[in-house]
Amino acid sequence: MPHVLSYHRPTSLANALTLLRRAHPPTRLLAGGTLVNADPAAAPVDVVDLQALGLAGITIDGTTAAIGAMTTLQDIVDDTRLPDVLRELARRELPSALRTLATVGGTIAAGSWESELLAGLLVMECTVVTTAGEQPLNELLANGVAPATIITSIRVHTNGDMSVARTGRTPADTPIVAVVARRTANASTVAATGVATTPILVDPAHVGAIKPPTDFRGSGEYRNHLLRVLINRVSS
Amino acid sequence: MNISIVLNGAPREFECEPHVNLRTLLRREGFFGVRYGSDSGETGAAGVLLDGRLVSADVVLSAQANGHAVTTVEFLNDPTGQTLHPIQAAFVATGAMQSGYSAPAMMLGALAMLRRNPSPTEADVRDMLSGILDRETAYVKPVEAILRAAAVMRGDATEPFRPQILTPMTDGTNAVDVPGDLAPVDASPAVPRVIPSVDVPAMNVVGKPELKVDAVKLVKGNAAFGDDWEMRGMLYAKVLRSPHAHARIVKIDDARARALPGVHAVLHHENTFKLRYASGGQSWPNPHPYDQLSFDDVVRHVGDRVAAVAAESIEIAEAALALIDVTYEVLAFNLDERAAMDADTPQVHTESDSIGIHDASKNLVHHLTGGTVKDIDAAFAASDQVYEQTFRVHQVQQCPIEPHISIAWLDEDERLVIRTSTQVPFHVRRMVAPLLGLTVRDVRVVKPRIGGGFGAKQEMLIEDIVGHLALATRRPVRLELTREEEFVSSRTRHPQTITYKTGVNRDGTLRAQKMSIIGNTGPYGTHGFTVQIVSGLRGLSSYNAEAKDFDCKVVYTNIPVPGAYRGYGAPQAEFALESHMEDIAFARGEEPMDFKRRNWVKLGDRMDIAPRLGERGSVDDIADEDLPRVMSSGIEECVAQGKRAIGWHRRDDPTWTTPADRPNIRRGLGFAFCMHGTAIPFMDMGGCSIKMNDDGSFNVAAGAADLGTGADTVLAQIAAEVLGVTMEDIVMYSGDTDHTPFDVGAYASSTTYISGMAVKKAADELRWKIKKRAAKLLDVKEPCSIELRDKRAWAPDGTSVSLEDVALNSLHTEDQEQFMGTASHVSVDCPPPFAAQFVDIEVDIDTGQVTVIKLVMAVDCGVAINPVTASGQVEGGMLQALGYAHCEEFAFDDTGRVVNAAFGPYKIYRADEMPATEVFLVQTMEDSGPFGAKAVAEIPKDGVAPALRAAIRHATGVGINEIPFTPERVWTALQQA
Repeated sequence: MPHVLSYHRPTSLANALTLLRRAHPPTRLLAGGTLVNADPAAAPVDVVDLQALGLAGITIDGTTAAIGAMTTLQDIVDDTRLPDVLRELARRELPSALRTLATVGGTIAAGSWESELLAGLLVMECTVVTTAGEQPLNELLANGVAPATIITSIRVHTNGDMSVARTGRTPADTPIVAVVARRTANASTVAATGVATTPILVDPAHVGAIKPPTDFRGSGEYRNHLLRVLINRVSS
Repeated sequence: MNISIVLNGAPREFECEPHVNLRTLLRREGFFGVRYGSDSGETGAAGVLLDGRLVSADVVLSAQANGHAVTTVEFLNDPTGQTLHPIQAAFVATGAMQSGYSAPAMMLGALAMLRRNPSPTEADVRDMLSGILDRETAYVKPVEAILRAAAVMRGDATEPFRPQILTPMTDGTNAVDVPGDLAPVDASPAVPRVIPSVDVPAMNVVGKPELKVDAVKLVKGNAAFGDDWEMRGMLYAKVLRSPHAHARIVKIDDARARALPGVHAVLHHENTFKLRYASGGQSWPNPHPYDQLSFDDVVRHVGDRVAAVAAESIEIAEAALALIDVTYEVLAFNLDERAAMDADTPQVHTESDSIGIHDASKNLVHHLTGGTVKDIDAAFAASDQVYEQTFRVHQVQQCPIEPHISIAWLDEDERLVIRTSTQVPFHVRRMVAPLLGLTVRDVRVVKPRIGGGFGAKQEMLIEDIVGHLALATRRPVRLELTREEEFVSSRTRHPQTITYKTGVNRDGTLRAQKMSIIGNTGPYGTHGFTVQIVSGLRGLSSYNAEAKDFDCKVVYTNIPVPGAYRGYGAPQAEFALESHMEDIAFARGEEPMDFKRRNWVKLGDRMDIAPRLGERGSVDDIADEDLPRVMSSGIEECVAQGKRAIGWHRRDDPTWTTPADRPNIRRGLGFAFCMHGTAIPFMDMGGCSIKMNDDGSFNVAAGAADLGTGADTVLAQIAAEVLGVTMEDIVMYSGDTDHTPFDVGAYASSTTYISGMAVKKAADELRWKIKKRAAKLLDVKEPCSIELRDKRAWAPDGTSVSLEDVALNSLHTEDQEQFMGTASHVSVDCPPPFAAQFVDIEVDIDTGQVTVIKLVMAVDCGVAINPVTASGQVEGGMLQALGYAHCEEFAFDDTGRVVNAAFGPYKIYRADEMPATEVFLVQTMEDSGPFGAKAVAEIPKDGVAPALRAAIRHATGVGINEIPFTPERVWTALQQA
């Protein structure tokens, strides 16, 4: 069990920020809880649960989708207005009993280097809306969420054709490397997981400059090879 | 803080601390169907519905649920107890539960899904189940159960769930050609395909798909498992574990921990009794070495025990662990068995009081040898061709979803009671008593329902800790391992380096075969001797050769401790053996199946290596006529059925193997011949007593340990068959050292064969007493002419008396006597089950990714006492074997720490990615087993890895001698080819 000192469920962003900005005790935001509540080794903290802030929900405006930060991954899976590839990436992100809890905002804040969903959002030109302003997702992933800010929503472009290629140990395994591409009338964008400390946008012409880390599932050299192969697949 | 929840439709108020998660709160309130699998929720065992959606309660704070609706499995329960919800009924009818540990979560997920979508596809069901990991069923029967429940809830007609009886394709002995145009079996993959044998007589209960005797309590989520037990004043234990792979404890200061309010005991090497022991749950005398202490001053792997605390709560116990000051002298370590005997490799055991280590200075625990000839080299010299290959097999974990859990207390007579998740309650009692300074009679061990074991619980693993703490505090003490502890401090499969050398005659028959092993037993011996012996036994039994030889060095390293794991040395051996035979065939230019068939053991063949590699030593001067022989084999029927099911004819079709529209894909089919054993002859023993009740029902008390395998059901079927009653008339009780006869426990594929025969013998004895009394009541002179059936005793003239009347007469009316039957059984035989394993795969030659499309196993397990539970064993076994072959693997950092001690990084298959499976049960009549039964539980572990290797070789031409077949390993091999 996590070491939670106090639980807060503010009903306004202002109250949530006030709690978050306190010097003591250490305070963590609680979105779905699949990461914060799964960390029994964490130092004692207060948690600020964002569920009562009205941050969940999906709205579609033309080719733009606005997704509230507290929207669960299962909500994305279930929303047939969204592109099928995005829904499938949300489905693959976590198994059933966790994706009903995990949220878009929490997924972005965690910034896992293996997140296919984040790669998908990157190619969908995701803009992250926080209490401190707006920021492209790639910048936020590179810099992390600013202290004492709360992600409130994201916007993505839903037009274009998306494709995914991945390699894993098993079909539902978190990929060793995954590549997501999106093609619109004006541009083609590629993002990858498993080749940097976060999912990144990739210029297919400069793959050689990427030096992936090594772990037990794949060496840096192998990951780089996969990156080339998978980019070719989503490009063809 | 106050929590308001609408729980199962009713508003409820709770008081709890802010850190308490929803699983803990619900269990504290008596909702025991919410179960622990891990802290991070990925097992789904704690699945509940939160506002109608399936969530893992592990990662939901109770406070988060405040104001929401929560549904537990009790919602499905009929308050009158009379009927089952259609989802529960479907789980019972299809055998969807083995242990049933995670069944409540599965059923709740089904409920949520069917509310939204009354007509789900199989893919929908599998997606829902993706959040609930299962090591037992391979998800095959749960998927079937949910689809059937959906049909019932829609009002659709459904057929009863029963086996599909198939016509044999062979005469039982000879191989046949299998045309490519044969229609597949038209039945759900969950339905066992049974191929009957004319040698098997008709029976009433045995061989039938009887419902599991424990099914109803499991679908209701009743308190049945180890942790579903709370006692007043219970303390909670936690264990301080080594951060070092090898270190000496220079100093340990527990003063601050002891001073922490709520701490009742802190135990470590300075204040506990020291007696060297071996923790493997095996018959007396336990094999050497005795190299463990409850608490030692040397730690030998990351995760090894340092100290244990008992406190008022888990949180206090964890806080106390952080207050124990330990000063370590960090020592060099080694993880690789191939380096263990090198001169510069650190010595794992330097103490002088360990017993039975062959040569501690070389880390050599055992040097095991045996063979059928004195000079194997002469046999190689006489061979026309000699082939030699080396294989490496790795370390994996059993991964029962229920971790180890033990609760110990002193009862009113001040005897120590240990309620524990064990496969071996009687071994645990005998082994734990001396460590605690007690006698065997001072200890009672109770096995509740077990949420899977697979060998990990064939161990006296944590019972000594709770015993020590209960004696120290005089309070009940509970210890449950976390998932990470389960990985690093429980038990695992032995890594091995295996070299085969085989001499072949010009005609393709084997002349000589030598198997050499370096077996990695980690830092402690436990099962190190017997697992390697079984590797030799299994690795040299499958194929006939004039000369056989075994040489094995069992060595110490600093990996987490290997022990028993379902298959017990056979999966390692059969991967190497089958791969070696495959490669010899290719080298000779032969079809591997033809080469193997020419040499594999057949009906009547001698099993000449068996006496030389016994667990109690070698018998070298055995006469040829005294060698055990194969007395039943259905392997050719297995091969034929498997070929049809996998579509073996596609093997030679280049348009299939190299699809034109997918240039990076190569397809392959693989086959492995499997031969296992049934129990340990002259050693495994089971006992049973049966008594007759006033109403003509029977209490069966068996020492056997049902881990979810269906053993209690199978034993009840055997008793019912003998006594002429239905399953409703049998009340099973098992696995309690005070109240059941002795049994060695659940391992070595022995329960049906050994314990089942004990039940049959006891029932036969009781049956005779009933027949004698019935003859008297029916005025029949010859009791042997009485038949028992339909709950009555029948005379030859058609008159009858009910068993109730027999019981009332014997208990109350005349010549009063408690009719009982008591028996035990030990076997001199070890009849081998046989199987044909087939695998259908795709290889991505650009990435090395292997995708398994289908697994088929056709098994000759004699007579399957219950074809539904037997097929479930095969399905679950194949799932574990697939993980072994394909994706499961311990990974270490450069400090010797396991870096993937969690599900996800340690990858086990889940429902939405399992390949198709199909199981065939080929009947043969094994006269030495109860009603013709042989083993079935372990053989499914043997064939997947070699069949997968064979399929990769078929697809790509590349043979890989190390598992698992992860993408980079396969890609690297393809690059090097």
